[in-house]
Amino acid sequence: MRTIIRGILNNVFTAVAGTSVVCLCMVLVAVLGPMIWRGGSAVFFKGTVEFRKMQLALFGRGNEAKIEAEQKRPEDARRFVYDAIEKFKGGIDTEALSDKARQIYRQFGSELRQTDMPGEEVAELRSITRDIRKRLEIAFASQNRDEINKALTYVNSFRDDSRFKNSSAEGLFQLAEEYATAIQGINLAERNEYRKELAEVEQILTRLLGPAPATPTPALMMDRFGATRWDQAQKLLNRLVWHEQWAQQEPNEPMVKMRTPRSQRFAGTELEGLFDIIEQQLPEMLAPKLTFYWRYFIDDSTPGHYFGGVGPEILGTLLLTVLAMLFVVPFGVISAAYLVECASDNLAVRTIRMCINTLAGVPSIVFGMFGLAFFVLFFLPIFGVPSKGCILAASLTLAVLTLPVMIRASEEAIRAVPQTYKEASLALGASGFRTFVTVTLPAALPGILTGVILSLSRVAGETAPVLFTGAVALGPMPKSIFDPTRTLSYGSYDMAVGDRLAAMVPHNQFGMVVTLVGLILCLNTLAIILRFRVSKKLAGQ
Amino acid sequence: MPTQQLPRLNKQSRAEQIMKENKNSHTNQSKSPIQCACPIVRAEDFTFYYGAKAGVENITMDVTPCSVTAIIGPSGCGKSTFLRSINRMNDLIPNVRATGKLAVDGQDVYDKRVNLVNLRQQVGMVFQKPNPFPKSIFDNAAYGPRLQGIRKRGALDEIVEQSLTAAVLWDEVKDDLKKSALALSGGQQQRLCIARALATRPRVLLMDEPCSALDPLATGKIEDLIAQLKSKYTIVIVTHNMQQAARVSEMTAFFCLGELIEYDVTSKIFENPSNKKTEDYITGRFG
Repeated sequence: MRTIIRGILNNVFTAVAGTSVVCLCMVLVAVLGPMIWRGGSAVFFKGTVEFRKMQLALFGRGNEAKIEAEQKRPEDARRFVYDAIEKFKGGIDTEALSDKARQIYRQFGSELRQTDMPGEEVAELRSITRDIRKRLEIAFASQNRDEINKALTYVNSFRDDSRFKNSSAEGLFQLAEEYATAIQGINLAERNEYRKELAEVEQILTRLLGPAPATPTPALMMDRFGATRWDQAQKLLNRLVWHEQWAQQEPNEPMVKMRTPRSQRFAGTELEGLFDIIEQQLPEMLAPKLTFYWRYFIDDSTPGHYFGGVGPEILGTLLLTVLAMLFVVPFGVISAAYLVECASDNLAVRTIRMCINTLAGVPSIVFGMFGLAFFVLFFLPIFGVPSKGCILAASLTLAVLTLPVMIRASEEAIRAVPQTYKEASLALGASGFRTFVTVTLPAALPGILTGVILSLSRVAGETAPVLFTGAVALGPMPKSIFDPTRTLSYGSYDMAVGDRLAAMVPHNQFGMVVTLVGLILCLNTLAIILRFRVSKKLAGQ
Repeated sequence: MPTQQLPRLNKQSRAEQIMKENKNSHTNQSKSPIQCACPIVRAEDFTFYYGAKAGVENITMDVTPCSVTAIIGPSGCGKSTFLRSINRMNDLIPNVRATGKLAVDGQDVYDKRVNLVNLRQQVGMVFQKPNPFPKSIFDNAAYGPRLQGIRKRGALDEIVEQSLTAAVLWDEVKDDLKKSALALSGGQQQRLCIARALATRPRVLLMDEPCSALDPLATGKIEDLIAQLKSKYTIVIVTHNMQQAARVSEMTAFFCLGELIEYDVTSKIFENPSNKKTEDYITGRFG
């Protein structure tokens, strides 16, 4: 009976342990899954035609002829949008229309001067056109439809005058005609409102579809292309179709975000239907295509983090990590060796131990300030290096940060080496140092590598220590260890707090974090394989 | 007792040494049965303290060259302490101190001027548990010679082969010297440890219960090996196994509570011990 109970208990324990491991894995997947999913969208996503245009223009990738051919269809689909806006603008932008009328009037005047017409006739034409111009200006500025009609009728009465044929004055009639059609659906009293609203629409459209045709190339790189990613385009479409406004609904209550369809705000005008059409036609306009952008991991980002990848960030993180490990491993092992092999148990050594334990718990920002004060402001100038954040200072700071971990791990590892190994070596006549180097150290190597793994993960992911000592969010690739560098951790931090564009490119932030996780995983895997091989060799298999 | 000279162990030739010892020995030949003609290890009133407590007290005994001397006694009687004093392995323990005299080859090992490296190369040691380094078989056997500064591959090969042959291990491992020593069986590991100790060409080989972790078959092999080695080396072996002591040794010392109770020819100790305590121990009435 007792054996049966024992058997049941045994099975229950196994089941509980197994279940908890499975649960843990599931929790891990649940926690990391969404992040990896979002981060993965940095590399694997629906790229629009704008993405391919950007890749060609910035990185010279892709077939130029093919991309140009591909652009035809989206351009055709977009033309309608620009035409509609242009037409609508004709009805509301009164100042621009007045300017245009004045310009035509002036041009006609200079044309008249060059003709060989008699003086009286020139004077007459001049007064007529001046009259037309004035009437047009009245029509543009007026909010009264009758008044406008009267003015336009007056203008049109001169239309058939043969003297205006084939001269620039015809532009005035055309202006009148266009204006007449443009104002048909417009509430004249709200033209100012429309103008404001249209400016916003145009701005969003520039983000979505890129600069309108026949406009000069924008100065900022990020304005030169529309939405490069389909998810980004969807977001912009949402902003285009819905108008958002903060409104005070009741006094002394917090403001509420109100969403109204944009088409409602253009109700009754020609633009009312435009937004539905854009929504339907957006795939046509942007031609999204599944893209695997593996160069995300090697590309520089231009400008800011808007386009491109995280190549320099990966390089910087690797550099910092490897350098920090180069500093911390020898120091950590030597310190641990001292603590285990040489130090006797006195007050000084106990104090040192306590300091090491305390250091392990110090917040990393403190190390950051320490690095700034010591390495950047004190240490570098001693060697004649300009006192600014750089890779050297950052990696030294990271090394100091992780030194306690390294010392503790190495200490345990060295202590765990069987005393019999040391005895055997000493009994053969080896000195203490020789014994340590040839017997203890190789035998402690797996444990020391465990320390390396722990430190590695910490170093690669730290943000605060490099904040003041050598990380930048943007900037050129470092040329030496005396230049600052970008890092993945600092990059994602900076995007989170300092970069308003970050909201536009969330894939980049998640991408950086996932890349960082992947990078640490890779480094750790390397170290684990190394440790496995070393311990296998030590175990004699 | 004439004043002991303190020659550098390696420097003086063996012949000179023996001659001198012979000359000296005339005066004290008949002093005690535990003092012999030309001892290679000589203890005189040797006391070893762990802190304030004495591990062994007033030990006086000589070890004859090229013989096997067994040290037996109950646990905690100071056998190992005495053995480890001979090559000063006890120095690893803090707060230890020694009084009296303990000389190897005429050289006081507790002299401040003694070169520990030379001493330990003269006095090899084999431990209770087989403790080969986690290195290849070759590297294990070559560890001592390398310490002595031998770097040439040919010379190392020769020494490794010699010492492995001397430890009767060569035939078993000659094809995989590159293999890790930890892949060997326990008995093979212990023989490798003996080979490793022999590779430094010691005069004295200390064995601290070398068979206690081995099965009877492996023990038998080690005992055969000891019998072979005693023609060239002086062996001091600590053992709990009285049959073993009877089988392998010429002389046997019985330690009890840190004191040397009786030290004589093995057959006499086991057949006709002069001390009551020895008799009790051997017949199994105590200890």
